[in-house]
Amino acid sequence: MAPDLRRPFPLGPRGFVLAGLGVAGIWAALYLGLQPSDLTPSTGGLSLARDFFARAFSPALSSEAAYVPDGTPGLLALSLRAAVTTVVYAAAAMSVALVLGIVLGFCASTAWWSGDPLGGRTWFGRTVAPVIYGATRVLIGFMRSVHEVLWAVLFLAAVGLTPLAAVVAIAIPYAGTLAKIFSEMVDEAPREASHALRAAGASGMQQFAFGLVPRALPDMIAYAFYRFECALRSSAVLGFFGYETLGREIEQSFVSTNYGEVWTHLYVLLALVLVFDAWSGRLRARLAR
Amino acid sequence: MSVSAHATESELDALWRARPRSRFVRVSFALFGLLLVGSWFVGDFDFADSFSDTRARNLDRFLDEVRPYPLRAPGPDGTLEPLPWDWGVFGTWAQQRLTDGVSDRDTPGGLESALGTLAISVLAIVLAALASLVFCGFAARTLATPRPFAPHAGPAPWPRRLAWQVVRGATRIVLIVQRSMPEYILAFLLLAMLRTPAWPAVLALAIHNCGILGRLAAETIENADPRPAVALRALGASRTTIALTSIAPAILPRLLTYFFYRWETCVREATVLGILGLASLGWLIDEAQVSGFRYDEMVFFIGLGMVIVLAGDLLSAIARRIVRRAS
Amino acid sequence: MKQPATGFSLDDVSVRFGAHAALRGIDLEVAPGEAVALVGPSGAGKSTLLRVLVGMVRPGAGRARVGGEDLATLTRSALRRARASIGFVHQDLCLVPNVRVARNVLSGRLGSQGLVRSTLGMVFPPRAALDEALAILTRVGIPEKLFERTDTLSGGQQQRVAVARALYQGPAALLADEPVSSVDPARARDTVGLLTRISREEGLTLLMSLHNLELAREFFPRLVGMRAGRIVFDRPSEAITEADFHALYDLDPAEVLADGA
Repeated sequence: MAPDLRRPFPLGPRGFVLAGLGVAGIWAALYLGLQPSDLTPSTGGLSLARDFFARAFSPALSSEAAYVPDGTPGLLALSLRAAVTTVVYAAAAMSVALVLGIVLGFCASTAWWSGDPLGGRTWFGRTVAPVIYGATRVLIGFMRSVHEVLWAVLFLAAVGLTPLAAVVAIAIPYAGTLAKIFSEMVDEAPREASHALRAAGASGMQQFAFGLVPRALPDMIAYAFYRFECALRSSAVLGFFGYETLGREIEQSFVSTNYGEVWTHLYVLLALVLVFDAWSGRLRARLAR
Repeated sequence: MSVSAHATESELDALWRARPRSRFVRVSFALFGLLLVGSWFVGDFDFADSFSDTRARNLDRFLDEVRPYPLRAPGPDGTLEPLPWDWGVFGTWAQQRLTDGVSDRDTPGGLESALGTLAISVLAIVLAALASLVFCGFAARTLATPRPFAPHAGPAPWPRRLAWQVVRGATRIVLIVQRSMPEYILAFLLLAMLRTPAWPAVLALAIHNCGILGRLAAETIENADPRPAVALRALGASRTTIALTSIAPAILPRLLTYFFYRWETCVREATVLGILGLASLGWLIDEAQVSGFRYDEMVFFIGLGMVIVLAGDLLSAIARRIVRRAS
Repeated sequence: MKQPATGFSLDDVSVRFGAHAALRGIDLEVAPGEAVALVGPSGAGKSTLLRVLVGMVRPGAGRARVGGEDLATLTRSALRRARASIGFVHQDLCLVPNVRVARNVLSGRLGSQGLVRSTLGMVFPPRAALDEALAILTRVGIPEKLFERTDTLSGGQQQRVAVARALYQGPAALLADEPVSSVDPARARDTVGLLTRISREEGLTLLMSLHNLELAREFFPRLVGMRAGRIVFDRPSEAITEADFHALYDLDPAEVLADGA
């Protein structure tokens, strides 16, 4: 294929983007001073890695600590309890995030007020709705721009360690993300059905509710399930900040060099995510049919 | 939708009872709903404690301490009282944070850390994309089969079918394990083994996102229009030729869109990974807190993180628009 | 919901989409209760004409009247009422694919209901509404599909759902835009026959755009031929001649070059 001389790059704008990525990647490596040779671990790291990965196929079934106080639950019970806490925090956070995400997602979508070719916009659609829309977009951007771990760190500093703060920390950025994606899904859903309803006299809000939302609903449900899976991971990570989720067990076992225990907790986390992933994958296939 | 029962069964009732419905979907929704509501009863959420006076006092003190240090002065009872707001003082303080990082600590400046955060996210996502391109070909059902894009060729002999099934299954398992592991936990584990400032963060992000991009790319290949590939195959093109000349250009725009979406997440995660002691903003955020509870500086660096996250989102939106325009 | 049939009148109506003139000075009268077929090649402006009549396209010039009222002068709520009184069967089906048929049929009456009432009616449909929907589905020949998921139906069956939705409006007139363009010839004949029979029985005005001149001649007493945004002929179907047919479909090279559509 002969290069197209009218374009600055042989691949056009897409080639420009690709070239930009290459340059950005090289800049990043240089800026960080990274060399592939740094990847070979130090002798200490090497022996640690060997010890750690040696246990991958023999996770611990009971505690490996030298001293176990009486009355401490067994390792598996401990891991399961942490898993339950992980799920509980994730679920509580998602319940808040879903409610907020639906409300904010509605405010951040344009389809219900952006007008009619002959009727034009209503007074509400001309004046109030664009303001609500803009304000919601800014709010969503703010909520999303701080990572859930940083929200958790902020809340730790502000009010101290309380499970409710962990839930709220996850819920804030997740609500923002759900709102953003929900509004985009509804606004970009195929419009034929909603136009047909308009031709039959339906109002903008009715077209939105009965023409667009049902159309986008399977995707929205699938996305909500995917976010729940992410919430499980986030909830586990919050264990590193004192909450009683799987992250805390992983950190404590690793620091005490009980690598078999680490693998046990990692496998429990993996199982949690995989089960949820399989469930939501099957549900997605059912809804799309 | 529901139809109330009637004494005599009408056609409507008969249709309603015979309506197609999926038990799996209903049970799933019921379970999910139960999970969302039930979590509030199972969890140890102590509302009385969460909204107690102690918590309120903590919050009060925190909000006082978020005010930049130079804008506070010791009051009569020994606590720091707010001074009137002065943009000049604030500007000097902010500039020091950008160049010196956390005060009295040996940390890089805020600006340097912000750039480091960006660099980590860029390198990680580029590595993830390169790795995922290798994985996705072996995970896609349409490509990783003994006779790709040959609808009329008939089944291959069973050993070859089995071999490809094993390759595909193994690739999929690797991808799913990669994406199941949270970046933070990966970085925590890698940090102990590598002990270089940035590689653990880069690798952790790259591994997790390789799993995600790999699966998305495999799905994109499976959903791509098979006709050009079938035509090429009929002309005798090899698997690699088809992948590079027919499939790659067709799925590139979609992949680039996914790539930029994931990069946005990478910037957020890269900020946080610093908390482990890695060269990103998270380090300053953590350092400000542990070194004498400098909440003013902590909030400043979180704000700086917001700025680069928003800048990343903007850049990504522009790049995605260019890609969309081009296709 | 029964309303007296409405007539339509277009008075020198023109519509432009950017540089493309879709309608150029159309004059057309359709009396209440009349059945008229719009025929002509694709791109002739038939769809645009129908869309003008339900206020989905605003004419650049001229007047469009429905039941004697100028659409351009109607208030928002009067426009909604006017639209609600006209059943429109679209070219592509325009149904919500992933809900049950009943919901698609019931959504026909949104235009005559407020938001709260229609939401209640869509979420918890009253028995009377479902009985009515079932009766209408029986008329269009697919009663057994009432609670099926819409996208599990065949193309012809979905077409009937779209007709049922339009009838559920309790319309004073029916507009149909190429309702049979996506089904096979036998189904096409059935559907056109169904629509003409129902509108005759109900005394509804019927205006249908059709590709197929034979079908139009068989089922409609009056044919309006369109080409390139203009009305080429307008006469009783017995009076259609071979020359009319050529005037519609013969290729004019200049026109083909000027307008690829």
